[in-house]
Amino acid sequence: MNGVVKMNIWQFLLVYLLLVVVLVIMKSRKINQIKLLFIASLRMTVQLVLAGLVLTYIFENPHPLFTVGYIVAMISFAIYTVLSRNKGLNRKFKIVVGLSLSATGLSIILFFILAVVGVNIFNAQYTIPISGMIMGNAMTGVSLGLKTFNENIKTGRNKIDVLINMGVTPDRILTPFVNTALETAILPTLNSMLGMGIISLPGMMTGQILSGTLPMTAILYQISIIIAISAVTCMAVFCSLYFGYRTLYNRKKQISI
Amino acid sequence: MCLFKLENVEYLDVIKYPDLKISTGITTFICGDSGTGKSTLLSLLNNSKSPSKGYISYLGKPIDDYDTIEHRKQVILVNQSVYLFDMTVRENFHEFYKYRELQKPDDDKIKKYLKLCIADFSLDAMCQNMSGGERQRIFLAICLSFMPKVILLDEPTSALDEKNAGKLIGNVKSYCTENNIALIIVSHSKQLAKQYADDCIELKKEVEA
Repeated sequence: MNGVVKMNIWQFLLVYLLLVVVLVIMKSRKINQIKLLFIASLRMTVQLVLAGLVLTYIFENPHPLFTVGYIVAMISFAIYTVLSRNKGLNRKFKIVVGLSLSATGLSIILFFILAVVGVNIFNAQYTIPISGMIMGNAMTGVSLGLKTFNENIKTGRNKIDVLINMGVTPDRILTPFVNTALETAILPTLNSMLGMGIISLPGMMTGQILSGTLPMTAILYQISIIIAISAVTCMAVFCSLYFGYRTLYNRKKQISI
Repeated sequence: MCLFKLENVEYLDVIKYPDLKISTGITTFICGDSGTGKSTLLSLLNNSKSPSKGYISYLGKPIDDYDTIEHRKQVILVNQSVYLFDMTVRENFHEFYKYRELQKPDDDKIKKYLKLCIADFSLDAMCQNMSGGERQRIFLAICLSFMPKVILLDEPTSALDEKNAGKLIGNVKSYCTENNIALIIVSHSKQLAKQYADDCIELKKEVEA
């Protein structure tokens, strides 16, 4: 097996031509997201170049603090993204979401790197990309879970009020909303498992194969990361909602949404 | 006997209530223009909201001394906009009883309360196909069947014509009198108040304490 072919920078730039196709289609269909297309492609490019530079530096000058710093930054960014996509949570709810994401994310990262892969946690080459996949998926899951929960609570406001007013406990009223949101948040991960290996080779496995890893080694990584992702998504969403919904009512069982 | 007593009650600096007393065993109407806090008053009475200032008592004790959930089971508030599940009439009774952790009522009991609220529908009729007024009456029937000690109605006849409105309130009032349930009704209708109120509380804007 050979290592990956290094891309020539001019050949690489050819791929941006594809964005022109997207631009033309958007223009002709009057889709008003051209600004977003530019900003998104630009941000993606800049952020990845920066990540490349930082990772190169960290790999050449390994230090535990760099790895720790990278993970802290990733977790903070995940929390920030979830909270900025879900405005209007009360302060305690925000704290619950932050704690849930950090605690479940960290425990899955530690378990995966130390027990499943079996390398040093400060080994940046393993810890950083794997943590990224884990935190990224936890972030998407929690974001989706909270969005579903908030929307359902908003549309179910009347039902909630009516039940409160006839003496039903907030627990009994809100738990079904938690369950529905949890289900919505974990379904995409479960569904994606179904098509794996048939419709597509997942990203991590593709990357490993391109860089010369034996397919049988690559699938072991892929299977374990998918399971870790399902677990972290489920745990992070569960903790966020299960402890979060209790911040919606007070000691007197009065609901404030 | 005094059921509720309010002293110096304010809600969020927007509403100031006059000191008032509501008695047991009678029908009290609460009237007043929009924005005078009629619906909020009902929420304060079943402790789903708390006043920002002042004191409310229920049967002689501060309202916060009671377990909130038990209190709301005794003092049921029927919102103006009701909620029914997209199910049959019978299943709706069952569902709400499940939420209240009570045994399913039998069909005879359901029919009795539907009749009381002039909602004589088939128990297998689907509630999502019904009009606002019909849903309002079915929901009221469910709440009455819980046998509360106090029932708070927020504009219970807003979706009914005059004739049926009078008939409904008449039925509910005589049922409550027979069973010693205190009835408190928020209503815009002066006519209904005149006909059925034993006591009438008029809320005005910017009442100085």
